[in-house]
Amino acid sequence: MAKHDPQDTLSSKGEKRFRLSSNAILFIFLFLMVAAFAALSRDFYSIYNISTMLTNIAFSGIVAGTLTLVMIMGGLDISIGGNIALTSCLVAYLYNLENGPGVGLIIVIGLLLGAAIGSFNGFVITRLDLNPIITTLGTMAITRGMGYVLTKSRSILILEEVVGFIGRGSIAKIPFPIIMFALIFTSLTLIMTRSKFGRKIYCIGSNQEAAKLSGINIRKVKFVTYLISGIAASISGLILTGQTAVGMPQHATGSELDVITAVLLGGTSLAGGKGNILGTLAGVLILGVLYNGFTMIGFRYVHIRVFQGAILILVVALYEVREKKTY
Amino acid sequence: MVDTELIQEPEERQTFKEKLAEIFVYGKSMAPALGVLLVLLLLLFGVSTPNFLTYTNFKAIISNIPVIAIMSVGMTFVILVGGLDISVGSVLGITAVCVALFHHMQFPAWAVVLMCLGVGTFFGTFNGLIITKVGINPVITTLGTMALARGTASWFALDIESLKLGRIFDQKFLLIARRYFPQETQIIPITLIYVIVLYVVMSLVLKYTRYGRRVFAVGSNDYAARLAGIDTSRIKLSAYIMSGIMASLAGVILVAQLSLGRDDAGMGSELEVITAVVLGGVSLAGGKGNLLGVIISVIILGVIRNGMVHLQETIGISYYWREVVKGAILIIAISIDAARLMAIKRRQVVRQ
Repeated sequence: MAKHDPQDTLSSKGEKRFRLSSNAILFIFLFLMVAAFAALSRDFYSIYNISTMLTNIAFSGIVAGTLTLVMIMGGLDISIGGNIALTSCLVAYLYNLENGPGVGLIIVIGLLLGAAIGSFNGFVITRLDLNPIITTLGTMAITRGMGYVLTKSRSILILEEVVGFIGRGSIAKIPFPIIMFALIFTSLTLIMTRSKFGRKIYCIGSNQEAAKLSGINIRKVKFVTYLISGIAASISGLILTGQTAVGMPQHATGSELDVITAVLLGGTSLAGGKGNILGTLAGVLILGVLYNGFTMIGFRYVHIRVFQGAILILVVALYEVREKKTY
Repeated sequence: MVDTELIQEPEERQTFKEKLAEIFVYGKSMAPALGVLLVLLLLLFGVSTPNFLTYTNFKAIISNIPVIAIMSVGMTFVILVGGLDISVGSVLGITAVCVALFHHMQFPAWAVVLMCLGVGTFFGTFNGLIITKVGINPVITTLGTMALARGTASWFALDIESLKLGRIFDQKFLLIARRYFPQETQIIPITLIYVIVLYVVMSLVLKYTRYGRRVFAVGSNDYAARLAGIDTSRIKLSAYIMSGIMASLAGVILVAQLSLGRDDAGMGSELEVITAVVLGGVSLAGGKGNLLGVIISVIILGVIRNGMVHLQETIGISYYWREVVKGAILIIAISIDAARLMAIKRRQVVRQ
């Protein structure tokens, strides 16, 4: 949508003046925030709270990680919230069917659903060359709507051990969602820094025309990236279903805002070509600590929502100003 | 559905086919194709359900249209200058809460309306200034404003005791949307007149004034417009302000219709508004489209929304499909937009 400014993608490495990297600033900020909340609220710094907080972060963090890939490529995926909701609805629905499939198969179907939604997005965006924002806005309505159709707008209870384990279980006292989160972020970091695929994503994001001319199969890379985003959303959907023990179409309403805010906070630009997974990790942690900390010192959800909107605009404005200073 | 029409053409004679293509594919406006689609939909619902083609039902459809129709005018301006505003639903929500708030502060009806339009102007200006002066992407900016406005609305609604119910009792205020001409037989609601006046005036503004032509110029080529001496950021700013004002106007009318000002008003309506505008042939790339197409597609969406209720009553298709249908229409609409642009471009290349 925004006219792409070619200067955006120039690297600022030629700069001689000492500057902290964006990621360093983000982690310093995170550290200061944790220190402040720990000073303000005694409960904040308990192992129980930190583990709960990280488990909560894991659910939106996983999709933030894959959305980073999509946004570095210059795309956007707003359908993640709907995807999460539909996965949870489908899993709970299948579980409560008489003579329904076994748990293993249900989980596979859940993941396949995410893959299907992701490939639908990828197919429509690459083949018909449509605006990704509006396309995934449409997919969001379709998926959430299907959730309503499937459950008839009710919550479906699912008390099942394996699904419960995905959301609440722990291995060696570390909650399973956190393990998933760590695994996915490590592999995404490796993909973006070490693999050809990652370089291709950066290349497409900085200059699609140049990427095409240098022989990159743009359609394939884009398709795969949206596919990954879809699968990650269904993994998040499974985690959320396990945590709440219900499948309902209202799950993860507005989570796209959280996730996009986290990614932008991490320094990825909507224009593409810029950003990294480590930054997104910082963004996800900062938002999670912010929500948790403010709740601990007595703010309500709606208040934090207002802050969040303000933070989103403020952070992107700061990045914009920083960018302009570089030249 | 428009697509199938185009596919059926090859059986006709060449000249006729060319004529059809001229109207439906290369034509400046989507209005003819949308008109055909509307008639088809009316027939479809009319045949399959007994209570659809009745006078009472038409009144129901008409009373449901104004809110989306008014918001769509503002969105048309924004998309014409090449932007996007997803905060409209939330601006509507905070307007609804503000109506309740000002109502409980005992302001007279006209003051309430003016102050609420002020709220919309504020959010529109906020969006516009950040997008034009700071240079942030419109989607991100309005996503932020969306959270900001909805959060503030919920905050007020939660923390101010008198707003918990949000009921509005001021008769003078309610008459804003509940007056009819003539009053006894209730034939023409005043909201319909608002919509007609608004669309006629804005169409004229877009077509015949210098400002309107500048809107198109900025949308089709920002750089060229700037070189031609147009203050592009001012035109863009004005479009976002327009969108904010229209969203709050829609909020005022919705509250007057329901006599209820709650913070969840207009939740998700941005999706419907964007769908209406894009389906109406306003290109997401900016600089192309007109309000005639937009109002027809607003009516189409209203007819579908209403028709699905009737389908549930007669055939038993769940009303919950409406969200799915909405999303599907949005994707089909942008596909048509993209296909038309491609066809026009290809013809230009051939001619050169």
